[in-house]
Amino acid sequence: MSDQKRPDPEKFQDPLENYEPREYSDELERALAEEPVTSIHTQPFISISEDTPVHAALETLAGRDIASTLVVDQQERLVGIFSDRDALDKVALEYDAVKDKPVSEVMTANPIHVHEDESSAAALCVMAAAGYRHVPVVAADEKVIGMVSPQRVVEFLLEHLDGDD
Amino acid sequence: MGLYENMLSEPIRQLALREAITIPAELSVRDAVQGMREKKLGCVIVVDEGNKPLGMFTEAMLRRLLIDNRTALDDSVQNHMARQFPCAAIAEPVVTILEAMQAENHRFVCVVDEKGQVAGLTGQKGLMEYVADHFPQIVLTQRAGVEPPRGQREGA
Repeated sequence: MSDQKRPDPEKFQDPLENYEPREYSDELERALAEEPVTSIHTQPFISISEDTPVHAALETLAGRDIASTLVVDQQERLVGIFSDRDALDKVALEYDAVKDKPVSEVMTANPIHVHEDESSAAALCVMAAAGYRHVPVVAADEKVIGMVSPQRVVEFLLEHLDGDD
Repeated sequence: MGLYENMLSEPIRQLALREAITIPAELSVRDAVQGMREKKLGCVIVVDEGNKPLGMFTEAMLRRLLIDNRTALDDSVQNHMARQFPCAAIAEPVVTILEAMQAENHRFVCVVDEKGQVAGLTGQKGLMEYVADHFPQIVLTQRAGVEPPRGQREGA
């Protein structure tokens, strides 16, 4: 067995000795940077299968009084999102022609989403920069595990804002 | 100054207001929907002759109409609009928008000028943009819509 040189403990230099943790201007900035997106309330969420008829998808939105529902395949992986905006753009004036078609034909396919280990700032970025109100959250296997909405972001902001409640 | 302090002091005019779609009360719901499609906006403001807001019709209201009463598409929008709706003066603080969203989950807020005339539209997206602009180095540098690094290395 060859001799292995071991580092001299007295000469050991901690590579992190000059590390200075980032300073944030306030608690909200820290939370946006460091808290995972799952720290925003991402549950509950509604999902429907991609072959759900359009009229049933619309009834799901209306019955639950929600603005959007996630659309998944048979393996529960995200394939789209069907929202009030899709109903406005592709269903409202063409209802009789599309009501029995699968929701996959009118949904927003492959929506921008975030992964569960991304920061909460990532969800806000999708909303602010990409302009999407609802942001699906997926696990590493691409299965849907939640959804971030503006109301939930507001709750998150209020939890971390510095100020009087 | 922290975000909340800014929200308390900065007026709504600091937000990136959207140009509101304003329509007369007698316009049909169908025509209102067409306008919303063309302008890519989920809301119209019904106004009087002086451009003062009378009501709001949104994509959420349309959703209910499609389920409950599709023939209403040819009705006047004034029969289906919300006569009580979130409205704020352009000089009011940004926190007004936050409160509207917190209290009633309003998606859109009509903004009026000093004369009470429609000056623009804001709401959930406007607030998100405002918060993102407050923390640009944290929020606007995210990889939105980009797939994360794959588990397997390419090449050798």
